[in-house]
Amino acid sequence: MEITTRRIIKYVLMALALIPSMFPVYWMVTTAFKPMAEWVPKVAILIPKNPTWDNFIVLFDPESASYSSFTAIRDPITQALQNSMILSVGGTLLALFAGTLAAYAISRFKAGGNILPQLILMFRMMPPVAALIPIAIMFSAFRWVDTHVGMITCYALFNLPFVVWLMKSFFDEVPKEVDEAALVDGWSYWGAFRGVVLPLTYTGMAVTALFIFILCWSDFAAALILTGSRAYTIPVFLGNYSASYGEMYGPLAAVGTFAVIPPVALGLAIQKYLVRGFTFGAIKR
Amino acid sequence: MGVRKRFAGLKGWSNDLEKFPTILMIPISIMLNLIAIFPLFILAYAAVTDWSPSTGSWFNANIIWYGNLIRMAEDTIFQMSIVRTAAIVLIATALEFAFGLILALLFVEEFRGRRILISVFLLPMMVIPAVSGYMFFMIFGSAGPINAIISILIGETYTLSWLTLPNYALMATILMDVWQWTPFMFLILLSGMLALPADPINAAKVLGASQFTIFRRVSMPMMKRIIMIALILRSIECFKLMDGIYIMTFGGPGYHTQTISMWLYEAAFRYLDYGFVSAVALVIFVGLGIISWFAIKPLRGG
Repeated sequence: MEITTRRIIKYVLMALALIPSMFPVYWMVTTAFKPMAEWVPKVAILIPKNPTWDNFIVLFDPESASYSSFTAIRDPITQALQNSMILSVGGTLLALFAGTLAAYAISRFKAGGNILPQLILMFRMMPPVAALIPIAIMFSAFRWVDTHVGMITCYALFNLPFVVWLMKSFFDEVPKEVDEAALVDGWSYWGAFRGVVLPLTYTGMAVTALFIFILCWSDFAAALILTGSRAYTIPVFLGNYSASYGEMYGPLAAVGTFAVIPPVALGLAIQKYLVRGFTFGAIKR
Repeated sequence: MGVRKRFAGLKGWSNDLEKFPTILMIPISIMLNLIAIFPLFILAYAAVTDWSPSTGSWFNANIIWYGNLIRMAEDTIFQMSIVRTAAIVLIATALEFAFGLILALLFVEEFRGRRILISVFLLPMMVIPAVSGYMFFMIFGSAGPINAIISILIGETYTLSWLTLPNYALMATILMDVWQWTPFMFLILLSGMLALPADPINAAKVLGASQFTIFRRVSMPMMKRIIMIALILRSIECFKLMDGIYIMTFGGPGYHTQTISMWLYEAAFRYLDYGFVSAVALVIFVGLGIISWFAIKPLRGG
């Protein structure tokens, strides 16, 4: 009897938590499917009455807008989408390459002593804008502003702390005896790393890669500051349009819905490792 | 000659205990030197000047040494953004911890649909912060759903423009952070609770301790490190808060939701006040550096 009461209370509490937790997402996704007349009605419309794909179509084909009298979306989202893809994949690969090698050196050979790994971690604690000020100055000297190369380097740098500490935590889980056995068998240090230890951490590398991809894809500050009309990403696209046409609820909600699909899908895929990811490998499970 | 000699020095690197780790560290060293250490020198130089690109090149800037520190002491807009950020961090982190803990407690025991519900509750965390800024912009709009719900409750049309009122805008900012990051606390605390050894808890049960006593006296002390990590990471992340605010209120109305990151952004890229902003950034670097040096101790212990 008492147990059922407790269970009921539990479910009630969960339901109470679920409403505020889901509502913002629900509102955005449904707004993305509402025709213009339903964006700002007298009484808010919870379920779209005449669901439509128009808001998504407008993103790719601005000409098709039925409300062209004050068309907000002039450029299609294609360029932002392409940039987001290139920069996130490029940044992830570069960070993964440099970070994995360093993580192995730190895990096995104590490279950089106690100080360097900690300095790398501290870099992530800084507000990105503060770090972006000198980077912006330097990039304008290099002519790297608004280029893919510059943004990829920047994303790789910003996410190196995660790669180094995450991969270190994965390498730490492989017993040292594995390396030692390989060395005894006549492998070189590189051979033992590349041929024996690294394959054992492929899962870890995949998880790290997806995690970094999500972080790159979600970045706003760096892209806002370092890109212009060419290398801008989806969040910046959203930011630009919401600044001048914030009331274009339908298309902008469509941008938002579109933008969150990859991180949500990938995030759920690596859900088991999210704790480890966000705590830099400090909490493993 | 010299080059060949240097390459000869690298020969056998993959069999050499000294050289191998050094080689592995080359890519990260290049990256850190190129876009972390080198910019730091730029920052240190700019910090002692009154440089602004609108008045001239960096080499024409006047060196004013501690002049920017004096400006910091006098600039109340800057100081308020620091105070405001600290307040947001304190309130938001505390609320996230409280809500995250309650949620985690609800999910400790197995029940039907638990796995799916956990994923559902994690969803806000995976939304891009910039997008959640737009979500809350929609929700708190004068014709948005919040007003619609109030209208239904009070029976007449209610069109409060939440984000144009200082206190409500600040509240919306905190709510946005709480909404987005409570799942983070929930996830960490839940994983900590699930990893607790069963023996001490069962022993306490046998001794007749109440659920609350077990939680306070047995579970919580064992989770101390995890709780510390969660609180530290969340407050550091919250201190950087910018993306959502940029889209939702752009720091407004006036300066009422301007966090330190928003202040830095405006001062640097709108008013091009490079010298002053560099000085502030450097102070933040040093300050946060000292704090995080001690704060990340629990992270290293893993």
